[in-house]
Amino acid sequence: MSTSKKLSSAALPHLLRRRYFPSTACPPPLHDARSPFQLCSSFPVSNSAVERSSSSVAIARFLQNPRVFPRNCFCSQSSGEFSNARCWNCDAQPEPGLFLVCDSCGVIQPVDRSLDYFRLFGLEKKYEIGDAHLHDNYKDWQKKLHPDLVHSKSEKERDFAREQSARVGDAYRTLINPLLRAMYIMKIVGVDVNEEETISDPDLLVEVMEIRESVEEAPDSKALNKIQSQLQEKIDLWSKSFANAFESKSFEEAKDCIRRMTYYERAIEEIVKRL
Amino acid sequence: MLRLAAHKFLGRAAAASSSSSSSRPVATRFYHENVIDHFNNPRNVGSFDKNDPAVGTGLVGAPACGDVMKLQIRVDEKTGEIVDARFKTFGCGSAIASSSVASEWVKGKQMEEVLTIKNTQIAKHLSLPPVKLHCSMLAEDAIKAAVKDYQAKRAKSNGTEAADAPLQEAAKA
Repeated sequence: MSTSKKLSSAALPHLLRRRYFPSTACPPPLHDARSPFQLCSSFPVSNSAVERSSSSVAIARFLQNPRVFPRNCFCSQSSGEFSNARCWNCDAQPEPGLFLVCDSCGVIQPVDRSLDYFRLFGLEKKYEIGDAHLHDNYKDWQKKLHPDLVHSKSEKERDFAREQSARVGDAYRTLINPLLRAMYIMKIVGVDVNEEETISDPDLLVEVMEIRESVEEAPDSKALNKIQSQLQEKIDLWSKSFANAFESKSFEEAKDCIRRMTYYERAIEEIVKRL
Repeated sequence: MLRLAAHKFLGRAAAASSSSSSSRPVATRFYHENVIDHFNNPRNVGSFDKNDPAVGTGLVGAPACGDVMKLQIRVDEKTGEIVDARFKTFGCGSAIASSSVASEWVKGKQMEEVLTIKNTQIAKHLSLPPVKLHCSMLAEDAIKAAVKDYQAKRAKSNGTEAADAPLQEAAKA
């Protein structure tokens, strides 16, 4: 991977093409920032970053100059790397906000992986989402993005539709489940929830053992449903604890809440299998 | 209840062992013969009385997959030999098989000896795929926890740790 150390104005277009026009099928992330300095952050951090900051500004201005880089240099995968993302089809500048579909020509855009799931649904990056109308938003997005609705469009647009639709589906399923939402929000703030280690907390494990045993020995579906609702209550309780722990940045406590919710969710899965 | 546990075991063991290369086909799936053996002849499923002074209980969990494993050992107080073992595991087939193997292997051994049982040995015996290696780790941790619990109980009942010092030294090794 080329580094900023090798930058010179002559070599720049080639370096950028190599870096931002990869041969892989997956489009690189778009940057949804309006600042010309956005470009600096996409280069690797180096020791002499300070000296280079003034040249970075110059580079940014250079790249945004449409006479230097006419629009057909930017293939659809990379148009968003620079601060002014444009529609790959009609070259229109998007309205501020989410740019999944072009407002001018209605064409579906490539996936922007820098958009986290919360932003996709117009939510703040907070664990408690309240009455977020997730299902309604999800349906609205799918009306615009679903591959079945773009039969007549180009293959490129169908590919984008598939990726966008899949991502919106993932976002919906993640946000609507408290445990998945908790794990996701920890991930996007950079807290490692590595759970490969064994735990031996006796209180939790004894409780889980008892729950799993009662599920196995439950005589009928009425008993199972009762256990299930008890477990759901526990999950709701620990979900609130997680919210508090997360807000106050007590991440160890937050991880503990996630652990408990995981165990309760597994037990519910077992119940569902038996029902 | 045993049948249910066994059925669960079969279903998950099939998934866990389906990528095994050294296996014989059964129906349209592949099982490692050791896993088949543990399924057809389930051994040591059950519990001892936790409060029995000769019993050590190891209770461990893997939060990532929501598995929980209990391994109990009955120790001969005079010789320090593990005379019997029971296990109870809620989790995937690999976890159940790993704890079953562990419960078999600890029988008739000294406590210092079982502490040297490594998860890699269990995994090799069952031909566990890489994604299931943590199940064998759980079994290794369960053995250690059971031994530790027994020693702690003995220390409490003796009122002193001096009598158990040699065993604890081995445990730390």
